[in-house]
Amino acid sequence: MHRPSAQEFLLTLLESLEDLPPDIARRFTEILKEKDENRAQAIRRLFEDVAGD
Amino acid sequence: MTEKVQRLVMHAFRGVPAEMTVDFGKGESIAIYGDNGTGKSTIADALEWYFTGEIELLSHEGRQHAVRHVGSDEAGVTSVEVMTNGTLGGKVVFPDERQPEAFQAIRRETFLLRGRTLADFINKTKTEKWKALVQILGLDDIESLREDLQRARNELRKESKAAEEQVRAYRGALASAGEQVTHETVLASFQQICGMLGVDLPGSLDQAADPAWLATAVGASAGDSEPSDRESLLADLRTLSAPAFDKSALESWNALVGSKRARLLPRASLVREAKRLVDAQQIDGRCPVCGQTVDVKKLARSIESALVDVMEAAQEFERVRDPITQWAAELRAGHDRRSALHDRARASALELPPLPSPPSEGLQRCVGSLAPVDVAASTAYLSELRKWDQAVRRVAQKTSAPEATTRDSQLMMLAALCQQVNMWRSAERRAAQALKAITLADRVFEAYQAKQKDDLAELLKRISRRVAHIYGALHPGEELAEAVSIEPWTAKGVELAVEFYGTRQRPPHGVLSESHLNSLAIALFLAMAEEFNAQLGFLLLDDVINSFDVDHRGRLAELLADGFADWQVIVLTHDQQFFEHLSRRAPSWRKLELTSWSYDAGPRTTQYDASGILAAARERLASGDVHGAATKARRALEELLQEVCEALWAPLPFRRGQANDRREIGELFKGVRRTLKDRAKTLLESTEPLLKNLEADVGATLNVEVHGSRGRSGSNEVEAALKRIETLDATWSCPKCRTRVWHRGNPEAGRCRCGQSAFPPAPVA
Repeated sequence: MHRPSAQEFLLTLLESLEDLPPDIARRFTEILKEKDENRAQAIRRLFEDVAGD
Repeated sequence: MTEKVQRLVMHAFRGVPAEMTVDFGKGESIAIYGDNGTGKSTIADALEWYFTGEIELLSHEGRQHAVRHVGSDEAGVTSVEVMTNGTLGGKVVFPDERQPEAFQAIRRETFLLRGRTLADFINKTKTEKWKALVQILGLDDIESLREDLQRARNELRKESKAAEEQVRAYRGALASAGEQVTHETVLASFQQICGMLGVDLPGSLDQAADPAWLATAVGASAGDSEPSDRESLLADLRTLSAPAFDKSALESWNALVGSKRARLLPRASLVREAKRLVDAQQIDGRCPVCGQTVDVKKLARSIESALVDVMEAAQEFERVRDPITQWAAELRAGHDRRSALHDRARASALELPPLPSPPSEGLQRCVGSLAPVDVAASTAYLSELRKWDQAVRRVAQKTSAPEATTRDSQLMMLAALCQQVNMWRSAERRAAQALKAITLADRVFEAYQAKQKDDLAELLKRISRRVAHIYGALHPGEELAEAVSIEPWTAKGVELAVEFYGTRQRPPHGVLSESHLNSLAIALFLAMAEEFNAQLGFLLLDDVINSFDVDHRGRLAELLADGFADWQVIVLTHDQQFFEHLSRRAPSWRKLELTSWSYDAGPRTTQYDASGILAAARERLASGDVHGAATKARRALEELLQEVCEALWAPLPFRRGQANDRREIGELFKGVRRTLKDRAKTLLESTEPLLKNLEADVGATLNVEVHGSRGRSGSNEVEAALKRIETLDATWSCPKCRTRVWHRGNPEAGRCRCGQSAFPPAPVA
């Protein structure tokens, strides 16, 4: 059974959603690559940044 | 390829004080039988520790160090060595320095099912089942990201709410009594003040909010019109607004503390202690509280069920309590802010009405002691607070409404208005951005959760088919055999379900007996291993059939023997009937019987291994460990004498139960002599000098306890004793095929495997 990684799973999902801000997938990839202990905070900042763009 | 276990060697581990080896051949299935306390679970513990890095039961109790045998010699190293037919084998030494990442892949595989944890999955809450399943399915990374997305979403939601609250507060500060604030009403205020000052109106509110406009419009005099402390105080008074009040949260709390669930919480520590005692097998048929006789299994089930109830109650209390605690903190913060304003007003000779006292401390006390909260007092306080806010706003309006008689006061009014507009517009921008962020976060999170649920539902559908099939094999002909499934439940829960005489039962506890529920858990365990194991090709079932009747034990034995013939199945049981079922239905499986356990010697089996222990003694001697070699040599001699006594039916006094494994070595010497005297007098005569020397060795060279305090034997003495034991060992084996002379037939007509040697054997020179 293929077990997708969290990154694969999320990127597949983002591809299927329309009208998302450009660059969001790349920003998520950066967050998921780094093993940030406070990943939820990094994700919150991502949403804030993207909303402010 | 999935891997099978070929050999397990435990050293100073759990119930094994020295060393114990279990041989699985080329990775064959095995049934291991032994009464309670004979060391079966040590075998399961060793495989669990090796493959997962922990023994779950010990981790729960915070006793990870208990992997080491308590009586082991200080210098002895605790280790578990596993040989497999692949690459997963190796040796782990205590303390285990492997990192959790080392087990990430293996932890996703299903290989161990214990009787004591059998009901765990069935009894887990829906959310716990979800978590357990996503871990087994290897989707825990995805679940962990979902949790982070949820945390981020929740924080953004809070921020958005706070930003909206701020907009409302600034808008309130701009309002005259009862007036709705719009761009038009604010521009009208500008029109009035600018008209008095004779300056041009701002083109828009954004322009008015820009400090550059004020400077340009009114020239240098604007610099003198910065709001004073008093003006700033008045502006602060105008922005006051009472916190939102959710009366239903308080009512939910009161309903909960008045419910049956509230009575469960004070029992939490008692139930946890009871669970600990049951898990540690410290309940010996008597209730530790009242001393009455109890059915331990029934008690364990009640405690398990009580623990689930207590945990669920605690979670519910936490969920209802948190918003109240947060609200009480907001009330306290609001009160402190108003108190400070009150003090500032007094310093500015401004009289404000007295502040009402907040009920925050009472609320905190009530939620801390599980008492009902006073809803009426909170409602009354909020009403008082709103009245106070209105009163001080009126005071502020009245005080700040200067009669525009002088240019300075008019300029001050304009500057204050510009500042308020600035703050309002900034708050509006922040709120708009926060709304955009939360809308996006909500969308991504909801889509993520939905996809996760759909994917899991698809996986569950696949397992459900197999679970139903296995369950059907255990309960053929029963109505619900084909109607078992695992189903998603709300956004992040799963539940077992059965179709029971036309009704859907989810969970099935209400309609299934304990043994049926256990069958369901076994079916789930086997189906998961089949569906998802990528590396482990063995299944370990430790005492799982306690609630099964004879027929169902037979069916399980048949299912394991036939349906899982490609797997290596390791069954540990204290049930002789089940062991016999397995022996009949799976004749090709290995069998191992544990006969007893003792603190010094550990588990004893029906297999004798004097040669193996002698080889270990030789290794110790070669490495310079003379004391260790003497200990092993004595153990080898005991093993050999026991084997001879059993094989030759030595006339030893009858002892009930496990006492036969605990005979003094002198008694064994007597047994050998008596049986040889009766049946092989010549052999006895030729062997007698050797036996005498060995008895002397036992009293001196191999008397390790005495040497522990009086000085140790020399290596030459141990070497000589070893040779004598090897000579006695060789006496009973065929020189050609090396098997014992009692390999076939009874002691009267025993022969070796090749048939060339028979009892009594020729003495060894």
